[in-house]
Amino acid sequence: MDAAKLVAMVRDPNSTLFQKALACKKLAFVGGPEAVAPMAALLGHRELACYARFGLEPNPDPSVDEALRAALPKLKGRLLVGVIHSIGFRKDAKALDALARLIGDRDPEVAGAAAASVGMIGGLQAAKTLEAALKSTKPPVFPVVARACLLCAEGLMPASRTRAVELYTRLTAASMPEPVQLAARRVLNAVGPAPEGASKWPPPPPPV
Amino acid sequence: MADLRSKVSRRRFGKSVAQAGAAAAAPMLVSGPLSGQTAATTAAQAPSPPAGGAGAQPAPGPVVVAKYGLLDKIRFGGIGIRNRGIVDLGQLLTNDEVEFVAVADIRESARETIKSYVDGYYKRDACQMYRDPEQLLARKDIDAVLIATSDRWHGPMGIWAAQAGKDIYSEKPAAMSILESYALADNVRRYGVVYQSGCQRKNQFTYEYAAGLARSGKLGRLLAVHADTQIGLGMVDQGGHGWWPEEKPEPDPLVLDWDKWLGPCLWRPYNSRYPDGGRTQFWDFHAALLEWGSHTIAAAQWAADTEHTEPIEYVPEGGVFRGDGLTGPYTVTCRYVNGVQLIVRNHGWVVGGRGACSNRFEGTEGWVEVDSGGRIEMSPNLKSLLPTRQGIRYDPTAEHIREFLHSIRSRIQPRANAEVTAHAHVACHAVWIAGQLNRKLTWDPAKRTFIGDEEANRMRSRAYREPWRLEALATSM
Repeated sequence: MDAAKLVAMVRDPNSTLFQKALACKKLAFVGGPEAVAPMAALLGHRELACYARFGLEPNPDPSVDEALRAALPKLKGRLLVGVIHSIGFRKDAKALDALARLIGDRDPEVAGAAAASVGMIGGLQAAKTLEAALKSTKPPVFPVVARACLLCAEGLMPASRTRAVELYTRLTAASMPEPVQLAARRVLNAVGPAPEGASKWPPPPPPV
Repeated sequence: MADLRSKVSRRRFGKSVAQAGAAAAAPMLVSGPLSGQTAATTAAQAPSPPAGGAGAQPAPGPVVVAKYGLLDKIRFGGIGIRNRGIVDLGQLLTNDEVEFVAVADIRESARETIKSYVDGYYKRDACQMYRDPEQLLARKDIDAVLIATSDRWHGPMGIWAAQAGKDIYSEKPAAMSILESYALADNVRRYGVVYQSGCQRKNQFTYEYAAGLARSGKLGRLLAVHADTQIGLGMVDQGGHGWWPEEKPEPDPLVLDWDKWLGPCLWRPYNSRYPDGGRTQFWDFHAALLEWGSHTIAAAQWAADTEHTEPIEYVPEGGVFRGDGLTGPYTVTCRYVNGVQLIVRNHGWVVGGRGACSNRFEGTEGWVEVDSGGRIEMSPNLKSLLPTRQGIRYDPTAEHIREFLHSIRSRIQPRANAEVTAHAHVACHAVWIAGQLNRKLTWDPAKRTFIGDEEANRMRSRAYREPWRLEALATSM
């Protein structure tokens, strides 16, 4: 079935839930710009939102990003979480400001989703946002922010190495989740140089 | 420790000697988080940490290599254990290095079955049950997890476990898409955990022997490696993919949590045929040819020494194509950058039929063929290389788990680690996509992209249903 027929099936109010679902699924592979608006209209549908996102996420047309950004203020709860994830998957840097605001959302699932997506988008602006969120968030959002920061630091290497090392160093703090601390330490050990100053540990005993 | 000194078996003597040697060489070789048990042991036995003043000597404590003291048990939790997972669990329980302490499952019956099994084995009432795997993963006293859910949860659960710092034994297939395969490997690397996928053929004598012949050059210059995937491709709108079974009332979430059963997969109305064994008919819940391909293509990559890459070309042939995926017997001929071919078939080629998961490796000097039944066939000119004893010889699952446990202590990744698993899975998924589109595809392993084929590139991932997410970097795709 060609894309035009699939789009018509999504638009048709007489199509069954199943027909719309299958059409979105196929449009993931063949849908062009004309498929974006009909699927975006389903982002608020309890059952079909996941199909709409399945259809939209891999579509390279820039209008997908615009549609996802436009959906942010219209949705709540799980459906908003889904759209935030799709934005992160598509690495839409234009959404960073909106996502930064959502890190402060009262719904921890929304806030965590926003932090994770900022980490996936990456870059210097994302690093700044996440560093600020490390100070402002508490569990259960804080560990997600820490993981996002780790992801962001990795994405900054090697082009912005100095900034990445700063982030990694910050993530070694005792307040961070232990797996994140250890991950950051391993990277710092690998990239060097070793911290300046003598070891604070006493030297080993001389050979007998 | 005192007890060990007074009663040292040969095996423990070896460990004690190793411990003593290591202590002399590196008295404070402590890195990584200590498990609850290890931490407790260490706290009880080790002296207070040095105050930092010059002249203070670190008193010798018990040597801990990576996360574990050599004599400490590795504490396991299990997630989604049924069927194949129970085989793995049986092997874990009989291993005296392991203490199995918790199970998480969205099914009440499965939780209780596993608790009863574990508690019966240990003769105590201690196995903790959880509905939510995140609660199990949050336990700091659990060092490693056995993940034996259905296919759709292997990837996300593996990623969560890595992010929680747990070592992972996960049943295969490890991931449902190309992106998920890479994301899982990236998270395992990022969080420095040990990972073994349930590709136990890598610890089965026949496959080890055959791969060894290929890798050592005894087959001459390698020309082709063959992999049998047995089952078909799994199409989007044919067979089980073009319909939903009739909607039924959802069960009580305490009995079976349908939302969590679906997990990151696309929503569909509840019907008991999915959780009761019909999931494999539906592409949404199943990784198609990875059922066997995750064994045979992994073995082929192992034999060809191409475990850290994927073929660059995929050419489907045969079968019947009606617009969405091949049906019937088909072959996908793939080519690595060095010219070696990977030939993937969904139909057996061994006359008379033997075990499952057939592989054949061909070189300029001869060939070798193996399967899970334990028999090895070789070209007539190489018959002298046939091992005198054939058959299964030892339990591959037991050996595979033993290797995993060894890796947990050594922190050296095992044979079916996340990286080689990702590359083998990506090859499998690329074969599936070539069959789905029924056209030649060219793959760039460095850029992780199909060259000049947007439709194929769109098939590299599957969007997760909300609220689940795949945390992946740009470098993953």
